[in-house]
Amino acid sequence: MPKVRLTSGVELEFDSQANLLDALEQAKQPMNYQCREGFCGACRCTLVSGSIRYLYEPLAFVRKGEFLPCCSVPDSDIDIELP
Amino acid sequence: MAYTTFNRTINDQMKEPMFFGNPVNVSRYDQQKYPIFEKLIEKQLSFFWRPEEIDVSKDRIDYQNLPEHEKHIFISNLKYQTLLDSVQGRSPNVALLPLVSIPELETWIETWAFSETIHSRSYTHIVRNISSEPHKVFDDIMLNENIMERADDVTRYYDELIDSFNLYNLCGAGSHTVNGETKSVSLRDLKKKLYLCLLSVNVLEAIRFYVSFACSFAFAERELMEGNAKIIRLIARDEALHLTGTQHMLNILAAGEDDPEMGEIAKECQQDAIAIFQKAAEQEKAWAAYLFKDGSMIGLNKDILCQYVEYITNIRMQAIGLKSIYSTTQNPIPWINAWLVSDNVQVAPQEAEISSYLVGQIDNQVDTDEFDDFDL
Repeated sequence: MPKVRLTSGVELEFDSQANLLDALEQAKQPMNYQCREGFCGACRCTLVSGSIRYLYEPLAFVRKGEFLPCCSVPDSDIDIELP
Repeated sequence: MAYTTFNRTINDQMKEPMFFGNPVNVSRYDQQKYPIFEKLIEKQLSFFWRPEEIDVSKDRIDYQNLPEHEKHIFISNLKYQTLLDSVQGRSPNVALLPLVSIPELETWIETWAFSETIHSRSYTHIVRNISSEPHKVFDDIMLNENIMERADDVTRYYDELIDSFNLYNLCGAGSHTVNGETKSVSLRDLKKKLYLCLLSVNVLEAIRFYVSFACSFAFAERELMEGNAKIIRLIARDEALHLTGTQHMLNILAAGEDDPEMGEIAKECQQDAIAIFQKAAEQEKAWAAYLFKDGSMIGLNKDILCQYVEYITNIRMQAIGLKSIYSTTQNPIPWINAWLVSDNVQVAPQEAEISSYLVGQIDNQVDTDEFDDFDL
């Protein structure tokens, strides 16, 4: 199970949740969200290290180094920063 | 070059910048410089809805029973939404279409503005239902100082761009005297006006609208005006897409690969950009004070709405690469998210508004063995 480490020190395991946003919410992280399908961009976070895989290509503008947890899963252990 | 509705110059559309290149000739989508705009069009089309689909009849009873100060909040909010969509239903077409040089962006702008006209029609649907004198509500929009004050800032950048482009289109770059007034215009100045206009559009869609959504959903949280909330939910889903479109335009321009001069202008305008966001946020706070002048409602008051303005302004600034300007980091009204989730828009599958619902999905692949147990 890939580990998800937050810059705040919180650490969680990605345990077959539908996507990273669900996993972070289950871990009681204060997440921004709106559409939950990759087009609004409200949930964007920074990917510090590791890699993620998109379940489908998001429509929202995603800057280099950022990703949308609502439509992605970790591909390895990852370090991320919430806005 | 001067605008023409069908540019006779044979050009490679893949090499045109988004704006201020050759006007578009053939509307073709077999090749796309920026496929994102085609994807946005498809998504927007899959969202199609009509106000008449939503039953707002219970809202009439709810509205009659609201205390006066809540009626003021509800109806003022609706008037403000009407103003915003009146502007958005026409301005992207009038201001941006003559400047566009790639077909997929041109069609996105048309699709975007069209969906705003549906929003405008839905406000009439709501107002007709809650009031026996809908004309009074609409007539007041033009007489209401608080709304008109907002209209100035919402429209100023569009109007300046249109005005300048008209002059440029007719007379070209330089200083021109028209009706005794001397104005100078240059392509660079037009590009700057366009960039500022897009920023102001982004502020309208990404901040101003959301402040109004918060008010609409605050009623529905108390199981009041739920028909209205259902409509606003569909509008919010559309707006999330529109603001993504505008963010893409802004980010592509700022990156400078599309048009290096635009990249420079975006850098130059950073302070202007921050000022546009800040001014809008302050105006929305003033609007919150006007809404709640006669009293708060359960779940929402002036202070909470102001905190939300700050929170949403920060998020929207970060999305286009600006630093946030307020210290608020927490959403003071987390319940709004549940109203903004696109697939919650849908409760019953037969209501046919699921965003993933595609029309005319037919499987054309039929194997011969499908007929194995078929006798004549």
